[in-house]
Amino acid sequence: MTTTTPVPHSRHRTAGRPSARAGRAGGQHRAGPLAHIVLGLAALASLFPLYWTLVAASTDSHAVVSSPPPMLPGGNLFKNLTYVWHNAGGRGMGVALLNSTLVAGAVTVSTVTFSVLAGFAFAKLRFRGMKVLLGLVLSTLAVPAQLSVVPLFILTKNLGLSNHLGALILPVLVTAFGVFFMRQFLSQALPTELLEAARVDGANSLRVIWHVVFPIARPAMAVLGMLTFVQSWNDFLWPIIVMNGSTNPTVQVALAGLGTGWSTDWSVITAGALMGTLPLLLVFALFGRHVVGGITQGAVKG
Amino acid sequence: MSRLSLPRARSGSAALVSAVAALALALTGCSSDEGSASADGKITLTVGTFGTFGYKEAGLYDAYMKQNPGITIKENPTTVEGNYWTALQTRLSGGGLDDVQALEVARISLATSEDLADAFVDLSDAPGVDKKDYLPWKWDQATTADGRTIGLGTDVGPMAICYRQDLFKAAGLPSDPESVGKLWAGDWAKFVEVGKQYQAKAPKGTAFMDSASGLFNAVVSSSPVQYYKDGKLAYKDSASVRTAWDLAVKAVQGKTSQGLKMFDTPWQTAFSKSTFATTVCPSWQQANVQQFSGPGNKGKWNIAQPPAAGNWGGSFLAVPASGKHVDEAKKLVAWLTAPEQQAKVFQKVGNIPANQAAYDLPGVVGYKNAYIGPDAATGLIFSTAAKSIKPAETGPRAGDLTGAFSTGVLLMEQNGKTPEEAWNATVRQIDSTIQ
Amino acid sequence: MASTTAPSRNGSAERPDTQPPPARPTGPSAWRSRLHRWDTKGTPYALVAPFFLVFAAFGLFPLLYTGWLSFHRVSLYNVDRAEWVGLRNYEDLFTGQVSHYFWNALLNTFTLGVLSTVPQLLIALGLAHLLNYRLRARGFLRTALLAPYATSVAAATLVFALIFSPEGGMANWVLGLFGAGPLHWEAGRWSSQFAISVIVTWRWTGYNALIFLAAMQAVPRELYEAAALDGANRWQQFLHVTIPALRPTILFTVIVSTIGATQLFGEPYLFGGQSGHQGGTDHQYETLGILMYDQGFHSSMLGRASAVAWTMFGLLLLIGLVNALLTRRLRASQ
Repeated sequence: MTTTTPVPHSRHRTAGRPSARAGRAGGQHRAGPLAHIVLGLAALASLFPLYWTLVAASTDSHAVVSSPPPMLPGGNLFKNLTYVWHNAGGRGMGVALLNSTLVAGAVTVSTVTFSVLAGFAFAKLRFRGMKVLLGLVLSTLAVPAQLSVVPLFILTKNLGLSNHLGALILPVLVTAFGVFFMRQFLSQALPTELLEAARVDGANSLRVIWHVVFPIARPAMAVLGMLTFVQSWNDFLWPIIVMNGSTNPTVQVALAGLGTGWSTDWSVITAGALMGTLPLLLVFALFGRHVVGGITQGAVKG
Repeated sequence: MSRLSLPRARSGSAALVSAVAALALALTGCSSDEGSASADGKITLTVGTFGTFGYKEAGLYDAYMKQNPGITIKENPTTVEGNYWTALQTRLSGGGLDDVQALEVARISLATSEDLADAFVDLSDAPGVDKKDYLPWKWDQATTADGRTIGLGTDVGPMAICYRQDLFKAAGLPSDPESVGKLWAGDWAKFVEVGKQYQAKAPKGTAFMDSASGLFNAVVSSSPVQYYKDGKLAYKDSASVRTAWDLAVKAVQGKTSQGLKMFDTPWQTAFSKSTFATTVCPSWQQANVQQFSGPGNKGKWNIAQPPAAGNWGGSFLAVPASGKHVDEAKKLVAWLTAPEQQAKVFQKVGNIPANQAAYDLPGVVGYKNAYIGPDAATGLIFSTAAKSIKPAETGPRAGDLTGAFSTGVLLMEQNGKTPEEAWNATVRQIDSTIQ
Repeated sequence: MASTTAPSRNGSAERPDTQPPPARPTGPSAWRSRLHRWDTKGTPYALVAPFFLVFAAFGLFPLLYTGWLSFHRVSLYNVDRAEWVGLRNYEDLFTGQVSHYFWNALLNTFTLGVLSTVPQLLIALGLAHLLNYRLRARGFLRTALLAPYATSVAAATLVFALIFSPEGGMANWVLGLFGAGPLHWEAGRWSSQFAISVIVTWRWTGYNALIFLAAMQAVPRELYEAAALDGANRWQQFLHVTIPALRPTILFTVIVSTIGATQLFGEPYLFGGQSGHQGGTDHQYETLGILMYDQGFHSSMLGRASAVAWTMFGLLLLIGLVNALLTRRLRASQ
């Protein structure tokens, strides 16, 4: 919240290994041309389908399936995007984008908040049953949501939440991954002395959390937030069950509708895919470095 | 470092409050607002459809909204009925339906069964609805055991054959509708034989028909006994199913079919690429022919009498009981299925009305389709065929059976299965889905 | 809260504002200390409560409910009416009407899992090794490799469905350049599974490469220097230093990818267009996830879908068990 808040050099501590700074193991070697070529090809393979989505979305129904395939953008991009914007899923892609933003935003805010709180408790507080509870959190990491969709469907119906975005938000208000991620981060990054000092100042728990824990957790919150947002935005199975064919879809549901027989035209379908992906690619262009860093941080704990 | 000053504390709690508020807002503010009255008193009605119902194309929504300034209509279209139904049945159970939902004839028996009938309201008392106007069998199909009519007929599916005049000519076959109709008159087996003739001299890269599953459906559709008999599932003993299957096998083995999955995107693309010469044309298929073939192929298609008459498809509009604006939705459905509107849809996209009063309106029987023929007398062809339809018995799983058999034929066409393997797989599929 | 760990410092009254002046009556002080006790004892539970509440409501309860449903016959059309059928749903799956599809889906889940995780992790490992060198345009390369991760299942699958389309798809055009094809990718068992694996691999390789890269960067440089002194070339260093040091990370990604593979749903569902709900006309790429969806939400048999879900649960437990054993052996060998 304020720049004066103390933030330790958490980036380096999070790797979970004291020797992390000794890294760059192979980095001493300069890569040869072969390595550059291979990596360049890999980058090309990664980016080409995205580029081609743009190309396909800018053609028309005939050109997009012509042989040889078009390799340069045509002139219909705006037309196709406009069409999808107004027509996909009945009320247009605009509704879907708004819905996805709301869902992913709410899930992100709530997951990050609750993960910091629980992560802090598991990292720095002592309480009876902590080990058992932490073990429980860990064991739920491996339980996929897929196993629960049938009762969730019934539950949603009985709660009157069908076709309501709440049905997409409630089940993922906080995840085991988030809690564990934050616990790992805070147990490294949050100095116990700082907590004690705050306590000596007479701060109660709420104030400690607000003034010490949150500021220190900030870099990890950004990372967890980004990962959660991407995951929520791209969630598929559960939305396709509660929202299939709905006039109130998320982006993924609208795209699924496009792909399973809503449209007649590949250029329109790819325009939808493009529109549904652009927001995330934009986020990536802006914060890509954080995500890259975040993934690497989150991973090493494994 | 450890001292925490007060001003920061205030800004902190303010931020927390705002974060919680934002969350609460996100949770509550995201309720679906479709179908609800907005601040200015306007009502939005959503209409869930599949394929081409033609209301948008014929300008009917716009006309209705002009007449009723308080109403906004949004269509929620799906191209493929199978996908539409999967989504619809989930929402019938869970909720979140459109104000108006279209139902295909293969689903109407299930929709009127005790499992689902209560999900829809009775439309026989909708303003302006006159039972006499509708084809009687169509009306009866949508009426439940306790006498509620939950769907109003939109169109029926009398069959014809759409064919490419240019490709027929190139293959040395006659190309005017009358001679073409004579080629296969009276027997679907002749149709398959003509396919072989075509294929012998076919332009390179083309096939006689789009899909053998289309042929299968057409043959079954032209029989009075199909999948059900005396209220029981009887597809294994059905002569029409057996005949249709054998003809489909012949079509596949004679390589007269392109082997496309009907309604899928490649099928749609193939229209524009002119890679097949015929497709079975129930009246509603004309819209697809025109839309997918594109302006570049105008005048290349024509339409001929089928080997045997029959009905394939046709639909209803229903109003879910859970809707927020049931009365407005009923009014809209009554209006959309009234003779004048059905006539307009027919003239625009070719769906032949289920409302027989529409046949007497000017411009229906005499209608000529500018895209097909050009100026083929589709009004005469389809209205004559529609009046002579003798409906076959249907049942709750008719839609699943149609789907299973289409898949079964595809197994031969696309997956290289022998006829026997494909038949067994089809039976297995049906047995496993009917509990 | 931290007071329990450092009572002496908390007790030292160097700051006047924490100790009420003795002149004040004792009332507020008692209230305050009770509040403090509450704070210390109660707060941890309050902090972890949201997670466990959400988990109980949307994780544990549905999981048990799924088990209960799996012994019942429940129609999608009337979810509130459940009829007890004992083990019927499981019999259907293992030996009965659906057994053909169940075993087929189990096999597909396995083959698709292998096809989509093994090459993916191997490529990721190789790329990470290269990324660990000093490079030009390092930032660009990393972000480019991660870009597919930002693409959703739906968007990626739709685009690849076009690429593998039998009508004018790019894959067939490329085959044509080499004088092969055209292939009907979606129709064949192996060609369709290959195509789906390509989608999965495309989306996740960069992500895993970055995870490996992070782990590689944490390997102490001295290890490499020692290996170099022993005369190991780069490849040998990779084999004998990098790989052993990465073992925990590799295990982690293997587990995550395996769990992901057992749940594969979106790619096959969307790749099949109309018949995606059953994993192709011949069920040629039907996974367990697809089977569950098909039985429950296409064929409207929720009880049977629940039985599929619980079978998957059992499978995951089995995988977890194997994983635990492997980890233990790994630890023992170290």
